[in-house]
Amino acid sequence: MRRLPLQRRTLIMLVVLLPLLVLFVYVALRSGPLAPVSVTVTKVESRSVAPGLFGIGTVEARYTYKIGPTFAGRIKTLDVDVGDYVKSGQVLGEMDPIDLDQRIHAQEATLKRAEAQLSEALASLAYAQTQARRYQVLLGVRSTSEEILFTKKREQQVAEANLNASRAELARVQAEREALQEQRKSLVLVAPADGLVSARNADPGTTIVAGQAVIEMINPKSLWITTRFDQIHSDGLAADLPVSIVLRTGAADSQRGRILRLEPVADAVTEETLAKVAFDHLPERLPAVGELAEVTVFLPALPAGPVIPNAAIQRIHGKIGVWQVINDELRFTPVILGGADLDGHVQVREGLKIDDQIVVYSARTLNARRKIRVVDHLQGAKP
Amino acid sequence: MISLAGRDILHSLGKFVFTGMGLGLLIGVTLSMAGIYRGLVDDGKALLDNSGADLWVVQQDTLGPYAESSSIYDDIWRGVRSMSGVAKAANVTYFTMQVRLGERDVRAMVTGITAGEPGTPGWPAYLVAGRHITRGHYEAVADMATGFKLNDRIEIRRNLYTVVGLTRRMVSSGGDPMVFIPIKDAQEAQFLKDNDAIWQQRHRTAANPAFNRPQVPGLLDAVIASQSINSFVNSILVQVAAGHDAEEVAASIRRWKHLTVYTRSQMEKILIGKLIATSAKQIGMFLVILSIVSAAIVAFIIYTLTLGKIREIAVLKLIGTKNRTIVGLIMQQALALGVIGFVVGKITATLVMAPIFPKYVLLEPLDSVLGFCAIVVICMLSSVVAIRAAMKIDPAEAIGG
Amino acid sequence: MTGKGIRIEGLKKRYGSGNTAVEALKGVDMQVAPGEVVGLIGPSGSGKTTLLKCLGAVIEPTSGRMILGDKMIYDDGWRVNDLRALRRDRIGFIFQAPYLIPFLDVTDNVALLPMLAGTPNDEARRRAIELLTSLDVEHRARAMPSQLSGGEQQRVAIARGLINRPPVILADEPTAPLDSERALAVIRILNTMASKFETAIIVVTHDEKIIPTFKRIYHIRDGVTYEEAGAGRTIESLQ
Repeated sequence: MRRLPLQRRTLIMLVVLLPLLVLFVYVALRSGPLAPVSVTVTKVESRSVAPGLFGIGTVEARYTYKIGPTFAGRIKTLDVDVGDYVKSGQVLGEMDPIDLDQRIHAQEATLKRAEAQLSEALASLAYAQTQARRYQVLLGVRSTSEEILFTKKREQQVAEANLNASRAELARVQAEREALQEQRKSLVLVAPADGLVSARNADPGTTIVAGQAVIEMINPKSLWITTRFDQIHSDGLAADLPVSIVLRTGAADSQRGRILRLEPVADAVTEETLAKVAFDHLPERLPAVGELAEVTVFLPALPAGPVIPNAAIQRIHGKIGVWQVINDELRFTPVILGGADLDGHVQVREGLKIDDQIVVYSARTLNARRKIRVVDHLQGAKP
Repeated sequence: MISLAGRDILHSLGKFVFTGMGLGLLIGVTLSMAGIYRGLVDDGKALLDNSGADLWVVQQDTLGPYAESSSIYDDIWRGVRSMSGVAKAANVTYFTMQVRLGERDVRAMVTGITAGEPGTPGWPAYLVAGRHITRGHYEAVADMATGFKLNDRIEIRRNLYTVVGLTRRMVSSGGDPMVFIPIKDAQEAQFLKDNDAIWQQRHRTAANPAFNRPQVPGLLDAVIASQSINSFVNSILVQVAAGHDAEEVAASIRRWKHLTVYTRSQMEKILIGKLIATSAKQIGMFLVILSIVSAAIVAFIIYTLTLGKIREIAVLKLIGTKNRTIVGLIMQQALALGVIGFVVGKITATLVMAPIFPKYVLLEPLDSVLGFCAIVVICMLSSVVAIRAAMKIDPAEAIGG
Repeated sequence: MTGKGIRIEGLKKRYGSGNTAVEALKGVDMQVAPGEVVGLIGPSGSGKTTLLKCLGAVIEPTSGRMILGDKMIYDDGWRVNDLRALRRDRIGFIFQAPYLIPFLDVTDNVALLPMLAGTPNDEARRRAIELLTSLDVEHRARAMPSQLSGGEQQRVAIARGLINRPPVILADEPTAPLDSERALAVIRILNTMASKFETAIIVVTHDEKIIPTFKRIYHIRDGVTYEEAGAGRTIESLQ
């Protein structure tokens, strides 16, 4: 008798209040510090890890030539410009001789004078020799004194010395003339090898000091990449390892190459090891000098063993390890790690066995007392 | 005996539940406010926890690296590392800047982490997807709050980074999500100007005769190169070896290296005491105001509900209902209203406010318990006011004229 | 008199004090025997309402004596401790308006009083349904008051007044909202209840339709009552 209206009332109340209660209980249990933490787990697999090293480098030319005059002067002509291919011995340009030609003339005149002086010395010597002989004969017939003969002999010696001096003077002037001529030759800038003009630092009419480069050349066939690897991550780096090169401008495709040599001197300031990487085949369109490149080195694969993703690695109280799931409970297992590859797979040398279950991702920091809830992937982190 | 309160509630269930829900929203906002306050404090603590450090070494006499800018040379860490009691020492840089993905710009704290393995100080403590950084350049681990997904190519300054891992709750003390990149890239990003500025600087340097000497051909290039290098970091994070006291190690670093060193508790004081103090005060005030307003509204609603029943109460008194029964009627209704309000409030705060609010909202069970007790007390007190009004009602009024 | 019925002797009620005092009742004598239904007629301002309030132990008289059955409930001061229990158990009220509790259904409205007194719910409801049946409204037993017509509500109110079988029932203009047929029906019910349960019923009214049914009438004017014999006509004769 009483039931019906009560039931209707109760029904309404249940329809309104029960969902509220359910939501409330859900909220109370599922959120806040008491709630279980969502985690994803994975089994420790046996894999062979192929470690890789990653470095950044800049493209450089192996051989760079800087061509300029050996003394200060002015540029007269330049025959090449940036981008020209030149051959060994090709004339690139010429410096202005300024007073060099005149000095060569002066030197030639000096040479002639030296020659004339030599002739004079020769003549003097001949005369002195004749005189010495005559007085020698005279002395034999007692027509002259010994003193006079002595004097004539001395004059002969002096004339001989004069002749030697003149000869030496002539040689010196000749040498100077040759020197000036060599300098005259060096006014011509010549390509020391085949190559590509990469810089033209001054134009005709500019005054240059000695040693300043007017034309810079590179050998484009000798492009290599000076690569820097973090020292902490360059274990196993050695010459002749194969690499893959990705240039900044050609990000889509990668080139193959190899490590030419490891530099014996590392960079102490940036804590990087340096290496030179050569292309196996130079790309069609040559990369510019200075372009950035990403170099990935392939090290030989390590033998198969237990492997974990590096996202699982944690550091608790100073120890490196992972959270292992045993009987639905968490336990921290310290591990000793081995090699790793560039995709985040790390070998475990000690601490875990194949098929052990470990936590990879967690929604919060974990500790041994927390309850966990295993899910496929964490909310908001769908691949 | 039937429950008069229950019957009354059932009779005007809609109105009652509606009122309860309205109240619940108010309570939900109050609980959320408490959650925002706790979230603010937690942001600071999360930053410290997630850095994996026991000590922070910063520029002398600064409060850095979070509260104040701090710059130290990037090779000092070697000296710190060699001190006794130091298990690990690593450089770290922090720089808040805009990180771009396609058309979208996100404000993030770009953190430069030293190359190494997971567990190095500064590295994110745990991931929710992907992997840690393995390459020395151009990889990034981003917090989910940035909205980035795995394999996104994000732009920091002029370099592109591939997002290889995602984290959760890695935020700066201001709530900006963190993006972890290799420290060398970070140093470059922190320092590097845009291309125009670099060109200008080169031009100026070349125009300076002191740097551009013709007799010394390589001088200009060397000077320009030195201007493009950044050899500073913001802090060195130190992990103390087992068995050593953090404060002792900190003291020895301070003494020998003339640097400022903070322990975990000192950093907490700085962050919470200085950095978020203002925000915390503001939110604290809001919380108090909201609580007072909520209390007042609850009291008002219950009082009004009671006044609306004057005639019934008079009749009940007249026909001989005990005072106790009438008091029970009012108080039970007040409590029911409070309970519904709390339930709705808690649900609103957890399922609606917390996810959509741009800052982290931390709802602790203790707060909910305290909130519930407060609501019960307020309901009881406000029903007292209503009961006094009810008691004054003259049953003789039921007998008219 | 036996243990029922009500008697008042020299009841006085003064409101206020000093110069502004109002003597609402100036010495009222009244008695109603068990099973009797008497009318109480008087203009407004005559003290009618005050008298009803005193009879109902709602306000305290200034002086006089009130005897309920064989118990002296007032003798220049209340002689009972719990007035509310008195009202609940020994006095029944029927108001001008039904004043049903809107959030209780008809049965619970009626059964509330016994429940308050401690009767088990089932027992109280059973009695309520009995009473509703005798008043011809048991078919509305599970309806809410708002769903009832005025007449039905009034009958439910009457049932409420009667359920505890109090020795005294005070009815204040019970037929005011009703038409003559219904009004007479109410009087008939009251008469039936009075004779069945030996209840003394005082009906305050000025409804001309029902006044002829009273055997005795008290007129009240200026705080004093006058007894008068009524016409005492039967209901059928008036229909």
